[in-house]
Amino acid sequence: MSDKPGLAPPKSPPVRLNRNTVSAGFKKRVNELSGENLDSCYQCGNCSSGCPLAQEMDILPNRVMRLAQLGLKDELIHSATIWICASCFQCTVRCPRGIDIQGVMDTLRQIAMEEGVDHFGPDQIDPEQAATVPQPGLVGVYRKLST
Amino acid sequence: MAKVAYYPGCALKDRSSHLDRSARDAAVRLGFELDELETWTCCGAVPPVSEERVMNLIASSRILKSVRDSGRDTLVTICDFCYNTLKRVNYRIRNDEVARRRVNSYLAEEAPQRDYIEKDDSPWNDYLGEVRVLHLMEYLRDVVGYDGIAKGVVRSFKGVRIAPYYGCVMLRPHKEIQLDNPENPSIIEGFVEALGAEVVRYPYRTECCGSYLSVSSPDTSTRLCYRILTSAQQHGAQAMVMSCPLCFHNLDTRQKAISEAYPDFRPIPVFYFSQLLSLALGVGVEDQGFEKHYVDVTPVLEMIRDGSGRVDTE
Repeated sequence: MSDKPGLAPPKSPPVRLNRNTVSAGFKKRVNELSGENLDSCYQCGNCSSGCPLAQEMDILPNRVMRLAQLGLKDELIHSATIWICASCFQCTVRCPRGIDIQGVMDTLRQIAMEEGVDHFGPDQIDPEQAATVPQPGLVGVYRKLST
Repeated sequence: MAKVAYYPGCALKDRSSHLDRSARDAAVRLGFELDELETWTCCGAVPPVSEERVMNLIASSRILKSVRDSGRDTLVTICDFCYNTLKRVNYRIRNDEVARRRVNSYLAEEAPQRDYIEKDDSPWNDYLGEVRVLHLMEYLRDVVGYDGIAKGVVRSFKGVRIAPYYGCVMLRPHKEIQLDNPENPSIIEGFVEALGAEVVRYPYRTECCGSYLSVSSPDTSTRLCYRILTSAQQHGAQAMVMSCPLCFHNLDTRQKAISEAYPDFRPIPVFYFSQLLSLALGVGVEDQGFEKHYVDVTPVLEMIRDGSGRVDTE
């Protein structure tokens, strides 16, 4: 195992905006649940540059914000990014627009789980881990990543 | 002896019991007692973000209300997750009127069945966020003071190079936590200096260790921890110090996986701040729970000296 190469821009297909891809009401729902205003993001990229997990993500945090602004729900709730985010609040602290980006990630996880997309269940945990990880880790992972 | 209300949380009762024990020992030597709440439950471990999930605020609110109802205004906790959760829920209760109303109406309704918590017959009072939630580190800085610690030190850490590690939830989100500067904190540095040790400054001290990803994607956490530990080592660290049970697990136990993945990696001993504190204040080595550590801490213990200047590993 070695470090993956740095922040190469993810090669994703061009975003298509049409009635099949854009989910009506999605942006409004994210705003309501998170208490943030997605439109205040102006794509400076500070969240992505500070994110300690950016190199593991398929969609960088600033792109998540953009896709959410555009209402591309399916793309977001099926991404790996929302499950890789460790909720460390680095992006939230650094956002010059004061957006709680981690809160938006949490909201996206919640919406994904409402739609039946689950990521991690008790049966997937390694027994050695289960015997040693402190309880906040176990409670945290189930509260954040599992229905 | 001054008593201060203390919420240990689940990890400190079980997997991280050495954090709890060393903190209690250290507190007694500093002249106060960590007075554990009579009844407490899980705090929830992660605070709810979504506006509509008020139910997830209940557990923490109940704990905070029981502290207020017992006539105390301060609650000390050590686990970073508990600290983050209790403090953020308190913040929400103080600032979000709708959440406050809903939480209180729930607590009022369950009160008759919970007479083991609501012991007195005093009239019902809504919880408005009156309690101050303090991290033990914060209590040491603001109430005991670093001078107070330095006065009690009987073992010398002179020349030991210690790297503070903050992790994420102790400092962030800053708007609600307000413990220290989230980008350039100094609270653990000040503590290490009070013990007489040398502070190692390195860039990864506030970088996330992977937190609970350690459970769902261990390899990710291994990579992050390798980066943090080697950064500290490159800046000359001989030991790491932190307060979070999960960070401790990731940075100590995970060194096994790191050694397997990265052949160039050399293990580095990891301590809770309370262990270093109680060692400095004269508590015995055998009371520190070092048998729970994965990495051998002896190299650091051999550098600690007592008054007569001889090596003190007993």
